[in-house]
Amino acid sequence: MPLPKIKLSELVEHIQETIQDRFEGEVFWVTTQIVDVKKQESSRRCYLKFIEKEGNNIITEVRGVFWSFYYSQIEDFEKFTNQKFADGIEITCLVRVRFHPKFGLSLEALQLDFAHTLGTLEMERQQTLDRLLNENPKNIRLIDGTYRTFNHSLQFPLLIKRIALITAPNSDGQRDFRQETERNKHGYSFVIKEFLTQIQGDTAHLLILQQLHLIESQKENFDVVVIVRGGGSQTDFKPFDHYEICRYIAGFPLPIITGIGHDRNTSIADMMARQQKTPTKVASLIVDHNLDFENNLIALKERFFNNVSALLEDAKNDLTRMKRFVKLASPSTILKKGFAIVMVDNKIITDPKKIKVDSIIQTLLKNEVISSTVILKEKNEKDDL
Amino acid sequence: MKKMTYNEAYDELEKLVHQLEDDSIKLHTLAEKVVRANQLIAICEDKLRAIECEVKSNLKILMI
Repeated sequence: MPLPKIKLSELVEHIQETIQDRFEGEVFWVTTQIVDVKKQESSRRCYLKFIEKEGNNIITEVRGVFWSFYYSQIEDFEKFTNQKFADGIEITCLVRVRFHPKFGLSLEALQLDFAHTLGTLEMERQQTLDRLLNENPKNIRLIDGTYRTFNHSLQFPLLIKRIALITAPNSDGQRDFRQETERNKHGYSFVIKEFLTQIQGDTAHLLILQQLHLIESQKENFDVVVIVRGGGSQTDFKPFDHYEICRYIAGFPLPIITGIGHDRNTSIADMMARQQKTPTKVASLIVDHNLDFENNLIALKERFFNNVSALLEDAKNDLTRMKRFVKLASPSTILKKGFAIVMVDNKIITDPKKIKVDSIIQTLLKNEVISSTVILKEKNEKDDL
Repeated sequence: MKKMTYNEAYDELEKLVHQLEDDSIKLHTLAEKVVRANQLIAICEDKLRAIECEVKSNLKILMI
């Protein structure tokens, strides 16, 4: 008996019914990689593909969708994991099976498992940290649970003046940092040279690395390197967890300050450098550093001039004392007090042996000189004079 | 004469203060030390606020 001929739609309807009957009311937790992620923010929908690979080959691929009712799952995912919901990441997600006569098989996503993603991220992160420690024992150490790098050990110069700024063009981070440094209330001036780069995306780590190389090649022109980026909706800081960037930062010959702008998490790059929470805080750190220098300078200046004043005051006092002493010791003072000076041949005599009996001596009193002949010399018994 | 860096100026100023505090500065040299200190302070203060400019195209930045 020949098979009955049916329309395509009838066959597909049959497939649809079969699938629906089989999967009606059932949901599944699926761990899968996602690609071709197309977020439509206006209609709050997200189309994507769920894939599974063996090596580099895709062995399974199914279309998927987040309808608007479930779109908030994606937003929450990005918020909680600091991971952009984008091509290439692995997720675990609750799905139901759908079949549409025109669009075919698809999986409707209902929920995302943040814990799984967080776990994966944390594991990757820990692997990177371990590798940094193992492969760079000279530049990176773990001391009391804190990573200490060669870069941490670099001192700021007394004054931070020349800044190499790595940032994305026209970003909030760039604007905030420049505003805060250039309009600082103390009027300090800075020379900021920008090294603009993409800060997100698959090639971002290579571009950032390139800029770091460029800065290193002219390192004598800079006091510090600042890496900033705006916070806001940019949630992906994968480049800053990248092994090569972190390794390079840890051994970089100029102090690096990061303001990668995340309150919820710290990137590995942050841990290898001096971390500030936001670009604005990086700027304040630098301005405050210069303020410290100025305060030290003012203190030094005061110490100098206080010492000079003290020195002059001492000298003046010494002089006054000396004058008084000279005055006290001067013959006129002595004569006024009733003492006399004895002279022979206009020479003051201090040694009585030089005066002979019968010689003529002069006695100087306050207003007069008396000449007399010595008639007798006797020992002076009053030694308490 | 090579221009002094603010670092050198700051160091020298510190040294002057220590010498003063040690009484190792003689009175007759005091006037010249005061002049010197003022110069050193000016170098440091300038550095904080002076606008420096980049020179040449090879990105060299003027060192003061």
